[in-house]
Amino acid sequence: MSIQQAMGFLTDTTLCIGCKACEVACKQWNQLPMDNLGMTGFSYDNTGDLSATTWRHVAFVERIADAEGRRPTRLQPFQSNWLMLSDVCKHCEHAACLEACPTGAIVRTEFGTVIIQQDICNGCGYCLPACPFGVPQLSDIDHRAHKCTLCYDRLVDGLEPACAKSCPTDSIQFGPLDELRARAKVRVDELQERGVETAQIYGDEHLGGTGGIGGLNAFFILTAPPEVYNLPSHPELPQRKVLPGFLSTAGMALALGVAAAFALRGRP
Amino acid sequence: MSREPHFREAPLTASAGVDAGRNWEPRRKSRSAGDAARTSYYDQPVIHKPHWGWLIITYFFLGGLSGGSYVIASIAELVGSPGGGRITRVGRFLSLAALLPCPILLILDLGRPERFLMMLRVVKLRSPMSLGTWGLTMFGGCCTLSALSEAAGAGLIGDSNGLRRLLRPVPTRVLGAVGMLPAFFITGYTGVLLAATAVPLWTRSYLLLGPLFLTSSLSSAAAAIALILACMRGTSRKTLASLERLGALTHVAEIGLLLAARANAGDRLARPLESGRLGQLHRLGVLGVGLLAPLALESRALRPGAAPSRAETIAASICALIGGYLLRYVTVMAGRASADDPYSTFAIAGVGAGGPGLSGDPVR
Repeated sequence: MSIQQAMGFLTDTTLCIGCKACEVACKQWNQLPMDNLGMTGFSYDNTGDLSATTWRHVAFVERIADAEGRRPTRLQPFQSNWLMLSDVCKHCEHAACLEACPTGAIVRTEFGTVIIQQDICNGCGYCLPACPFGVPQLSDIDHRAHKCTLCYDRLVDGLEPACAKSCPTDSIQFGPLDELRARAKVRVDELQERGVETAQIYGDEHLGGTGGIGGLNAFFILTAPPEVYNLPSHPELPQRKVLPGFLSTAGMALALGVAAAFALRGRP
Repeated sequence: MSREPHFREAPLTASAGVDAGRNWEPRRKSRSAGDAARTSYYDQPVIHKPHWGWLIITYFFLGGLSGGSYVIASIAELVGSPGGGRITRVGRFLSLAALLPCPILLILDLGRPERFLMMLRVVKLRSPMSLGTWGLTMFGGCCTLSALSEAAGAGLIGDSNGLRRLLRPVPTRVLGAVGMLPAFFITGYTGVLLAATAVPLWTRSYLLLGPLFLTSSLSSAAAAIALILACMRGTSRKTLASLERLGALTHVAEIGLLLAARANAGDRLARPLESGRLGQLHRLGVLGVGLLAPLALESRALRPGAAPSRAETIAASICALIGGYLLRYVTVMAGRASADDPYSTFAIAGVGAGGPGLSGDPVR
């Protein structure tokens, strides 16, 4: 196995038209079954969430009026008054799921991405609450954890991931990480020049890749606070709590052990 | 307080105009933590909650009971408490009995139970579940060996068979002392396991959950040993009194830890602990039945000159055991509820959230 360049996704939400081609292409390539034919009842988002069988999820945020009920009079320079974001596994530089996994099923590939080896995963489910973005999910079908593989099987053959391939507006861009980061900076500058002051990168050490996560291999250009797209601004690597947690527990064990010795010794 | 309108009602958080991309203020300028807590994606959960249910909750309880019994048995053996021999003997047997169902519960909970051995492929120091697997394995060895040599000492294993000969060179006191390390680990690591997740209620109190589970394990074990001894003939009042002292001590510590965790969580994160059926279980079950009731009985029994009656000991023990189970139940279920609440997630990882730490300013 040769060590490759770190690869990733740049998802530019200002280019997304909400066509869900990425969702469909992902399902087709990865042979994922459908999971919800119902209506969520909010916006055009009938997928709802990333799941074991949905590895791309297009979020739709409709902006009808502001808090005072004022309707927009002008369109944004880049799209209508919809915010759309194709969510995906972030392939974190320091991944919580990978660190939490007790079987070693979750590994980092030669492309710097994070995948779950399906022949190792025993379905313990610890990666689910570990992920601060809510990405891995247990499957009802095979009872193992699943998430985006960044089309590892396509990468090894030199193909780009199915979602990026299918995206008609290049909202999803695939490439070497340093190249994508440079491109994102240029794009954010360009957007701000055109009047979108709120344009920002989600997935660097300031926003999204915070708290020991160290940055996201799949990162985003947003034009609203991350919470609007269901992304936490300052996620933290949960494993940073392991050592302090064990130290405080050891302190309590020592204190209670001594106290128990006095209690059990009987009154002098 | 609780003023998070749905996105449908107030799609824009800032009062700036909708046009020209200025719908929201830039992140660092004027958005406060409060703003973050009022914004979400149609109230959808941000993170995925764990699937853990009664299997894992029961494991948390029995594992704690087993580790706690081992610790109490070892300490009683080392300090030579009044009637310590009885406490040690019951503690060793109880520890093994409570431990036996644990691997079964854990394996049943796996999505692919037949693959449980995959847990033994790797050792990962930053994964509490991996550490727990190895801790449980080590503790299983210590616990079984200690219980067997205790059984040999009690004459439960025939004099002339091979097992007896094998057990003879086992240094019981040394083994009991060394085994306290994995035993303590088993009682507390489950709390750290919960804390090392993105679940708001758990990760917020990451310094408190381990100590809370450890303390509760010791109190459950003290209660269970006292319950068994109170039902046995020939147990002295002094023996029961020493266990009641330990019980009272752990109950006071638990109340302190629970109050600290509640204060640390803040109102938003603690909502599942205070409302609905879970809130009632928390107040009445964990605090009332599990802590205050046994504490009242124990403090009655521990007044100078008073000796605990067997009935009181039995009542206090049963209450404490119910409370120990409910503590795990409420902690797991309330954590799951907080994982479903995007505002709780944003309170710990949102715009206004500080770095890690107990002193960060949560959204209240």
